[in-house]
Amino acid sequence: MGVLMEVRGLRLYYSTRKGVVKAVDNVSFQLMEGETLAVVGESGCGKSSMAKAIIRLLPRNVHTYDGSIIFEGRDIMKLDEETFRREVRWRKISMVFQGAMNSLNPVLKVGFQVGEPLMIYDGLSKEEAIARARKMLRMVGIHEAFADRYPFELSGGMKQRAVIAMALITNPRLVILDEPTSALDVITQANIMNMLKRVRDEYGLSYIFITHDIALSSELADKVAVMYAGQIVEVADAEIFYREPSHPYAQKLMASVPTLRTDKKLEFIPGAPPSLLEPPPGCRFHPRCPYAMDICRREEPPVIDLGGGHKVKCWLYAKR
Amino acid sequence: MAEPLLRVENLCKWFEVRRGLFSKPLYLKAVDNVSFELMRGEAVSLVGESGSGKTTLGRTILRLLEPTKGRIIFDGKDITHLRPKELMWYRREASLVQQDPYGALPSFMNIYRILEEPLLIHKVGDREERRERIFKALEEVRLTPVEDFAFKYPHMLSGGQLQRVAIARALILRPKLVIADEPVSMLDASVRIEILTLMRELQEKRRISFIYITHDLSTTRYFSEWIYIMYAGHLMEIAPTKELISNPQHPYTQALLAAIPDPDPENRKRFRKVPPGEPPSLINPPPGCRFHPRCPYAMDICRREEPPMIDLGGGHRVKCWLYAKR
Repeated sequence: MGVLMEVRGLRLYYSTRKGVVKAVDNVSFQLMEGETLAVVGESGCGKSSMAKAIIRLLPRNVHTYDGSIIFEGRDIMKLDEETFRREVRWRKISMVFQGAMNSLNPVLKVGFQVGEPLMIYDGLSKEEAIARARKMLRMVGIHEAFADRYPFELSGGMKQRAVIAMALITNPRLVILDEPTSALDVITQANIMNMLKRVRDEYGLSYIFITHDIALSSELADKVAVMYAGQIVEVADAEIFYREPSHPYAQKLMASVPTLRTDKKLEFIPGAPPSLLEPPPGCRFHPRCPYAMDICRREEPPVIDLGGGHKVKCWLYAKR
Repeated sequence: MAEPLLRVENLCKWFEVRRGLFSKPLYLKAVDNVSFELMRGEAVSLVGESGSGKTTLGRTILRLLEPTKGRIIFDGKDITHLRPKELMWYRREASLVQQDPYGALPSFMNIYRILEEPLLIHKVGDREERRERIFKALEEVRLTPVEDFAFKYPHMLSGGQLQRVAIARALILRPKLVIADEPVSMLDASVRIEILTLMRELQEKRRISFIYITHDLSTTRYFSEWIYIMYAGHLMEIAPTKELISNPQHPYTQALLAAIPDPDPENRKRFRKVPPGEPPSLINPPPGCRFHPRCPYAMDICRREEPPMIDLGGGHRVKCWLYAKR
């Protein structure tokens, strides 16, 4: 299994009237071929911004956008916009946006919309593209007759499947899923998770699965990255993370997950996440951390390698 | 046995969706033939997917919606068809916490006035007593220092803080029944537990009867004694919380439980056994049991006749033909 993507020192800052928002601040991680990385964290921690930075769909008020993203051996950050659009976006990396099912065009048939990327990127004719869309709809569990229907004729779960089909139709290597089931009922959600697993097994593709729901993240994650205030504070294999996370924030986050089948004492994290305009000095979690030491208030912790790809950004694990 | 605080008998709430001059009216049967009893000081979770009628049931019980059929008995009094004026006392006894704290609180009032309004409407106390009560309410929901929070406006507070204000407002008239409709679904995961813990604490301390409406079964374990499962306008299963989770009997409840993951690295390797399809339309629901088109055990009778509520003992009841003795 080779390395599919390596992100190093990725930064995405926005300018706002109040100052510079450091939405993604020096993020690094590695993704292997066929592997799924779940990115978890509270709202406003920079999860969606990181996704947009990877697929390079940025708002106008970008202040800083740098770092490197080595994808299949080349640094796609260095590509100009036209090359990126032609060769990377949707071709290699596609995305299912949060709430995308509500942005289907109401006056176009589903099959046309699902097939549209093929007309744009591969120059396929409308007929060919719609024929491929039918196959892809079947793949995601929608009867192909729905290709000739309009979005309003589909249920919420079907619309969500359709936008997933739209992300898969160009046969990309990596699909970013940003809260792909957030507005759906649990049974529909479970059905879509089953479908995403089937697609993963069939095409051997990688997902970056962005969610605030820790329990749900374990449905797909081979590896988990925890984000806090624009930074990744821990990356670990699923086996390690769900049993025993290392970063105090990750531990608190796990302790706040209600479990259906086992009794445990539920905890919550006192305080609120910091502003990304002026994050606290040192470790950004220190004001809420039960183990905060002097150094945590002063100096930003380094990323410490615990071995086996397990990394944690915390002074507790530093050898001094 | 003690008298229940709330008794709901065959309650129906149908919405008329179309009526031509000569055609028969069509109804959307959002709540259909629901019966249950709620004891004093007990917390129940009313669980269902979107469109299952759980919100409509809550609002009908509060008489924010006019019931179509059936009866609602509160504290021994039949309130099913009381007129607004006769309902004043009930408004004091039963209150609501809504899902969206941003929309539930008027933006042009400060927190003090938001909390004072119900006291003024119900003519509670003089100025000094009201002030005392408002400050105490803020303290109870831990918006401290209270002097700071009392004179803030809603836009100055976070979602979690707003929901605390909404809870304080729902409790300020010391009601006997509180219905909380998805009170934390718009909040962040770590704040959710904080708010639910606070509500549970106040509910136990004041012995309030509490209906927690939610789609999230995993939180019910921690915050209620009973779970009611609703599907397509019907109550499908009622049981004590732990019994329902460890020993679900209705095929729908079983599917719902099977769909919910706990954090576990094994999850990525297995497929969940859940029925395909989505809940039916409530305008023309399937005949017989409303779950039969998705049910793996559907029998002939399920397609024809609505199943009765069958008592399995220990308070566990299930609306399913599988458990009928024939």
